[in-house]
Amino acid sequence: MKMPSPSRNGSTKAGDWRNYERVLLPPVRDLHRLDVYVKHGGYKALRAVLTHKRKWAPDKVTEAVKASGLRGRGGAGFPTGLKWSFMPPVDPGTPRYIACNGDESEPGTFKDRQLMEYNPHLIFEGILIAARAMQIDATYLYIRGEYVDWIRHMEHELANLYAEGYVGKRILGTDFSSEIIIHKGAGAYICGEETSLLESVEGKRAYPRIKPPFPAQKGLWGCPTTVNNVETLACAPLIINRGAEWFAGIGPEKHPGPVLYGISGHVERPGVYEYPAGMLITDLIEEVAGGMRGGKKLKAIVPGGASVPVLRADMIDGVTMDSESLQQAGSMMGTAGMLVMDEDTDMVKFLRRVTRFYHHESCGQCTPCREGTGWMENLVTRIDEGEGTLRDLDILMDLCDQMEGRTVCALADAAAWPVRNTIQRFREEFEAKCRQSVYAMA
Amino acid sequence: MPKITIDNKEYAFQGQPKLLQFCLDLGVELPHFCYHPALSIPANCRQCLVEVGMPVRDRETGEITRNDDGEPVIRWMPKMDTSCSVDMADGMVVRTHRTSEQVERAQKDNLEFLLINHPLDCPICDQAGHCPLQNQTYKYGPEGSRFEFLKVQKPKKVVLGPRVMLDGERCINCTRCTRFTDEVSKSHQLTIIERGVKNYPMTAPGEVFDEPYSMNVIDICPVGALTSIDFRFRARIWEMSSAPSITVTNAKGANCSYWVRDNLVLRITPRANPDINEYWLPDEDRAVWPRFNEHRPEGPQVRMAEALKSVDWDAAYARVSELLGSVEGSNILFLGSPYATVEDNYLLGKLAASLGASAPAYIPHVEPGAGDGWLITDDKAPNAEGCRRLGILPVDPELVRARLEAGEIEAVYVLEDDPVASGLFRAVDVRDIPVILHTYHTTNETIAAADVVLPAAMVVETVGTYVSADGYAQRVWPAKAIRGVNRTLRMEMGISRPDSHGTPFDRWHNESNQVNCKPSWEMLPVIARSMGLQEEDASPKAIMQEVAHTIGAFEGADYESMGAQGVRLAEIGATV
Repeated sequence: MKMPSPSRNGSTKAGDWRNYERVLLPPVRDLHRLDVYVKHGGYKALRAVLTHKRKWAPDKVTEAVKASGLRGRGGAGFPTGLKWSFMPPVDPGTPRYIACNGDESEPGTFKDRQLMEYNPHLIFEGILIAARAMQIDATYLYIRGEYVDWIRHMEHELANLYAEGYVGKRILGTDFSSEIIIHKGAGAYICGEETSLLESVEGKRAYPRIKPPFPAQKGLWGCPTTVNNVETLACAPLIINRGAEWFAGIGPEKHPGPVLYGISGHVERPGVYEYPAGMLITDLIEEVAGGMRGGKKLKAIVPGGASVPVLRADMIDGVTMDSESLQQAGSMMGTAGMLVMDEDTDMVKFLRRVTRFYHHESCGQCTPCREGTGWMENLVTRIDEGEGTLRDLDILMDLCDQMEGRTVCALADAAAWPVRNTIQRFREEFEAKCRQSVYAMA
Repeated sequence: MPKITIDNKEYAFQGQPKLLQFCLDLGVELPHFCYHPALSIPANCRQCLVEVGMPVRDRETGEITRNDDGEPVIRWMPKMDTSCSVDMADGMVVRTHRTSEQVERAQKDNLEFLLINHPLDCPICDQAGHCPLQNQTYKYGPEGSRFEFLKVQKPKKVVLGPRVMLDGERCINCTRCTRFTDEVSKSHQLTIIERGVKNYPMTAPGEVFDEPYSMNVIDICPVGALTSIDFRFRARIWEMSSAPSITVTNAKGANCSYWVRDNLVLRITPRANPDINEYWLPDEDRAVWPRFNEHRPEGPQVRMAEALKSVDWDAAYARVSELLGSVEGSNILFLGSPYATVEDNYLLGKLAASLGASAPAYIPHVEPGAGDGWLITDDKAPNAEGCRRLGILPVDPELVRARLEAGEIEAVYVLEDDPVASGLFRAVDVRDIPVILHTYHTTNETIAAADVVLPAAMVVETVGTYVSADGYAQRVWPAKAIRGVNRTLRMEMGISRPDSHGTPFDRWHNESNQVNCKPSWEMLPVIARSMGLQEEDASPKAIMQEVAHTIGAFEGADYESMGAQGVRLAEIGATV
């Protein structure tokens, strides 16, 4: 594997990150309370957008988000301003919606939860600014069903917002009205996929839809809809308050802004950390998360949630957390939920757990994913239990080919990539288990 | 006109067709499971993948970019697309499995996936022999399987409702059944439950799948997951032959196929007709198959010394002419029938006219409120409209009773109906006058008063025309053989099996379960002649030709114009 050189990837992309001032999760006590949030400049951006009608005309807000270079934080990293501009012109008879994705169910990802807990009003303010920019009638904030306490917490804060006139009819006394509705999930990974989230909000079985039509054309109940991640929308007030240039100046040029890194696994201090995009992976592990647990050696990391390809320890030198650098290294930014594994990790067991997850979570709509995920788990389990053969590895690779790009949504891809990459990058471990198996000669 | 290139052949098209339907209409087969022309497109089975490309156009001029050979440069989509959901566009280029190894491979891969958790119990599955999964696996699937694990176990023998049974393991989750209940019948009684590979269709807890159209999901199920409680394990598909026909349960004239083994009707399934019933059939139309097999008479009977005695046909005809000849022709009450064909009713009308009687009347069989405005009508007989168009009108019960009491009716001639059960008169009311009865069943209550009982062929045994409430004239073909020789019926049977191979179960050389009856169009001319009247034997085709030429309400309605799909009389200029 070619090693990306630090100079080309720019190890200083994240700038002076040690002195980084946190903006998504600022160190303010009780910031989740409306009064505290307002005291610290909260809803200033919303007020500006609603009152400075010329400076912050709806399209100007979208322009600012475009100029900021903000890319979606839900996993795909699509430019947010561009997505907003896909909304068709306002048609008085047709309602327009935002579906704010807080379904956070990618394994290894827990950043949205942190944001909901410590800075919920930044999310609400971001939603309302986006609602203004796209002339939205109502926003459905879809929160993962397992987040029972956080749903209650968000509902409580939303009730306060309604009571204080920040949301609903004639927001802050202006002529702008927009509703926010919190929708509870019921514990399905697939609901994080944008179109099945829409189905779920509509009260239907969460089967992803065929695209086109895209949500901007036909979203909730067939009306124009934009789907954005919680963390993505939370960036909107920051862009309004401090300007698009400020935002674009944080981290790498093509993937700027603050990022919530969720670091888990074999590190001393797992947790959610806010730093600029483009952090060196090594910095995140060694300095931010306090190094490897017990001084062990790093074996592998998954940089952005279980779906993205795993990287071996020897592949991460100089690699930074932004889509460009990670793509070069052979992985993806995903949700920036980083799984760190030390030298004692059994990669076959790791893959067994991952395939089990996708088997359990495949919605079952499309044949290749419904049947392939279970078969994959069967094969990896058999290898792990010492009954596998080398032929099983070939079948696993074949199954990746048979699933990738042949389904309605990207979940089949997401299920196939970890299998393909983990076997490719740790093939000797898989082969060793196959060789020791009861069918060693096969 | 916009053009599309499929496997290097160019086709012109109109409008905005979907690629798969366009190919199927052309006869270019593409394997598929979830797609059904009458339902929404979920593209979930992933079987109909094709490669799709569009010509590259110059950004400024909009001209198609061409390579050195003058061929358009094609930009292929990065992924294969499901042809069922592809909107066709001018210049589009498509590669199916015929020209693309990638597509061929994808189809094989997909079938391997579909089969890993499928029980492969074809030898005991009702669907075997007409199973899209089985057929397409033979054509496009892999040899054998690489799957060496326990298959997923799901509920089997689940009674979803009174008529439909589920085998969850056979299900391939195409969702045709749930889409049918959501989009067509709108009962919303079925949904997919569980997740992933455990998915299967089910009703809500405590709900019963009992809607009046529930059995349609059995027809559209591309595997044997949904089977008919009535029909399962009764016959293999290759043992039966089927005949195109219509249902006679009501006046909709829904098109159907009668499936027959050993001259027994075993099953009734819909036959597509876009103008009348599309692809569907109500459950009540299918449930009536036993009536074609049970309580059928064994030849004609004549009342002698108070008791009915079986006689041969000639003796029965002689007795009819003797009885009718003994009364004043104008005092015979002729009852036509909305169950009988146009041809039969027409011949009855001719007989009545020749004898100087007034035109026949028919007994209506209408149940107000029974209809649903779709395929179930209030009228429970198939040919009332045909009768009306022949000038045979609903009977006036008051008048009949009054005339009976006054002794003005000296004989009753009943064509294929049951006036006693219908309450037109009681058996004792006609005990002293001759009653001639054409009947389908031995359970006909009018038999108690009949002097001659003539067993009549039913819709599955005859050739004839019915006119639906909506004014569609449709002809039927014999689905099973009757005892005795009728050259016309033999000719009309033809070869009905799609594979054109006969089996020992086929009606054309199987003598079991043949009913000793005759079509009324064969009986009536014989009776007319025995009364000294001029009436030639004629095939239903010739009779209908005569009707089409002599009666304005049937103008142009001959067998040629009816074809297999029927014809709307108003459209060919027939006027009432």
